[in-house]
Amino acid sequence: MVPLTFKKMHLSRPLRTACIATLALSLSSCASWKKGGSGSGGDYGGSDSDSVNGTALPDRQEGVSFLGENVDRNKFSPVHFGYDSFSVSGDERGKIREVAEFMRSSEKSIIIAGFTDERGTPEYNRGLGERRAQAVRSALISAGADGSRLQTVSFGAELPVDSSSGDSAWAKNRRAEFGVVR
Amino acid sequence: MKKLCAIFSLAAASVALAVEVPTITISKSDKLSIAVNGLSGEVAKVLENDLAMSGYFKITPPGASGFLVSGSGGGTLNGKVEDHGGKTVLSKSFSGSARSQAHQFADEIVETLTGARGIANTRVAFVATKTGKKEIYLADADGAGVTELTHDGNISVAPCLSPDGRSLAYTGYKSGYPDVYEINLASGARNRIIKFPGTNSGAAYSPDGGKIALTLSKDGNPELYVTSASGGGARRLTRTPGVESSPTWSPDGGEIIYSSDDRGTPQLYRISASGGSGQLISTGHGYNTEPNWSPDGKRVAFNVREGGGFAVAILELASGQTRLVGDGQDPAWGADSRHLIFASGGALILLDAQTGQKTTLVSGLGKISEPTWSR
Repeated sequence: MVPLTFKKMHLSRPLRTACIATLALSLSSCASWKKGGSGSGGDYGGSDSDSVNGTALPDRQEGVSFLGENVDRNKFSPVHFGYDSFSVSGDERGKIREVAEFMRSSEKSIIIAGFTDERGTPEYNRGLGERRAQAVRSALISAGADGSRLQTVSFGAELPVDSSSGDSAWAKNRRAEFGVVR
Repeated sequence: MKKLCAIFSLAAASVALAVEVPTITISKSDKLSIAVNGLSGEVAKVLENDLAMSGYFKITPPGASGFLVSGSGGGTLNGKVEDHGGKTVLSKSFSGSARSQAHQFADEIVETLTGARGIANTRVAFVATKTGKKEIYLADADGAGVTELTHDGNISVAPCLSPDGRSLAYTGYKSGYPDVYEINLASGARNRIIKFPGTNSGAAYSPDGGKIALTLSKDGNPELYVTSASGGGARRLTRTPGVESSPTWSPDGGEIIYSSDDRGTPQLYRISASGGSGQLISTGHGYNTEPNWSPDGKRVAFNVREGGGFAVAILELASGQTRLVGDGQDPAWGADSRHLIFASGGALILLDAQTGQKTTLVSGLGKISEPTWSR
């Protein structure tokens, strides 16, 4: 299980990049940057229109969706997540780099779809799936991908890769998939 | 009648003080005895079931009862209730279908004799997988008259009945993205009312039906927003790096309780509906999701993780005490703030939170989930 403090860490982009770049991702040193935990985000200030937790999503492309025929869902491997976590682990960073590289050399758009395992209540799972998709989107943007070509969607616990119950199935189902718009 | 209500609340208060538990348990002997006489057929059957379901009454033969219910049918039901001394305490006419007449009469009886809101003339909606896909279904609060409301052949989830039961909002994936749709239940007209980029889900009508609280991810993270009932003017409420979900409104519409995993695991928070700081509500449990605020404002039902599955918990806001009331998911309060519905074992369960009595309302539709209840 991923340490919760890591999952909750919220850094401004320069700070986050600095942390990752130095690979000195000491939880204690970064912990002071994490959200205080009041649930309010009162320390962010700002107006309703800002997007302190990420960058705003682009408008949807009319008639294009993740499950549609004009989307290639098999080009990239899904990013997997720990239980109840939306943190993109070090093991999964290679997948992010691959997609970011593709996006830098292409004009295509990508829809990132977030999924959860079956453990968890339905609406929380939809939120968690979206948070996973958004975590992958943020990681891609940090790796140089153009956020205006990155849309997200959550399916919660729907559409499992493996519909059986058990650790192996759950691990496969906790994922974010990439759909490349043709 | 007023005297009765007074005695009732006095008894409740003294019991509560004596054992320092803010809810009272009404044993069977505390139920009011009531008899239905002179009515027959569907009206009588539905009425007796409604009165028993309310939790306040014990159905007895005429002559042995504290109250006698009678009525004359035809196009309109002329209902009457007399007390033991033969004094008329309620006399009223009801129109509509036989089932509707019975439900209206039952609620009138409950309200007149106990002062509590009735639950009979309300509707429930839920998700079921009967067709192999998740569709929204609608039924009377007693589980009768189940109808399939959506036929999208897709993913239709998170239904929310407006408090007046006239419309239903739900999350539908018809566009390929989760959007909020609103169905006018009288006309059947459907509109896609919230369709921002990303995920739009978990619509919850305010008690006056004028607003919707929900989760949107358009600004780069799943956060809570409040919109008008038609989906316009989205205003952001929360601002955290975590996942916010399942907003539920206080009776006056001034506050919202929701679930957020901002501290690592999902916890309940309380925030002003106009914004500000979300305050943590401590429940003693590590996983707290899908809260539902009772119409009287006194308690919140929600889910906790328990023994590999999920249990329904009730938090008393005044005392901060939490108790578990059974295995299941997605609790929703009825208008009486006494009954809960939730999904368990693929069925829709009704729980009398005062007596602990459980009744299966609907089953046999595949897997039922995410129930909602009009008030």
